[in-house]
Amino acid sequence: MGEPIDCGEAEARLQDYLKRELTPELAEEVRDHLIRCRGCFGHAQFEENLLHLMEARARRETCPGELRERIRALLRAEADQH
Amino acid sequence: MAEPSAASVRSFDDEALPHLDALYRVALRLTGDPAQAEDLVQDTMLKAYRSWRQYRTGTNAKGWLLTILRNTFINSYRRRKLEPVAMDLEAIEPHALFRAVETADPEGSFFGRLVDEKVLEAVDALPSEFREVLVLSDMEGLRYAEIAETLQVPVGTVKSRLFRARRLLQAKLYSYAVEMGYIKPRERKDG
Repeated sequence: MGEPIDCGEAEARLQDYLKRELTPELAEEVRDHLIRCRGCFGHAQFEENLLHLMEARARRETCPGELRERIRALLRAEADQH
Repeated sequence: MAEPSAASVRSFDDEALPHLDALYRVALRLTGDPAQAEDLVQDTMLKAYRSWRQYRTGTNAKGWLLTILRNTFINSYRRRKLEPVAMDLEAIEPHALFRAVETADPEGSFFGRLVDEKVLEAVDALPSEFREVLVLSDMEGLRYAEIAETLQVPVGTVKSRLFRARRLLQAKLYSYAVEMGYIKPRERKDG
């Protein structure tokens, strides 16, 4: 691991960090900063929590059963034509 | 040319049908209308079925289907009647929502409710180039590279749009929180 990173650098990397798209080394530097910096830790937690809440809300919407059945029937009809 | 056979129908079913929920959700956010979303998903599945031979098993079926869905939407569907207007990102104070929640609601109880009730409305209020990136990333869990392929833009563009999209979304949630009385509007300095 290189030199400790500062708040600005931690924040610049936060989006990639939360998407788990940093290399292990860069992620480790962010993690190390978050452990030592209460302000950045709180902010990272807030962002992560918001992402969880958003995803959970989004997943409650599902394809209507009637549409699912219609599509299955269409695909069968397509297959039977050939 | 060989048409899809009964065997390939089965494998199409196996590979594509598990993604109907995701396709429907993205279609809803793109069209803003349940009836149009249903048509869009149906058109997408038919197109995907007909070009099934071009798809290589083992590659990312979800990304492939979402690409067809988005292209179909752009080519054949009416744009929303009221396309949201761009907001001035510079006018948005960074972290305003975080600061407000941190101060007014450290347990996050109202915040959870606010997101549950209002986040879809907030997403729908984003300009489309930001909305689609945010939906693919934060609601459907696609990686940068998958989003870049779906939207046919560079990864750097995906990253910067996602950054802006999240800022805009938080600004929307902030204004809803003020409207609903969860947080007090910030005092503005005279000027």
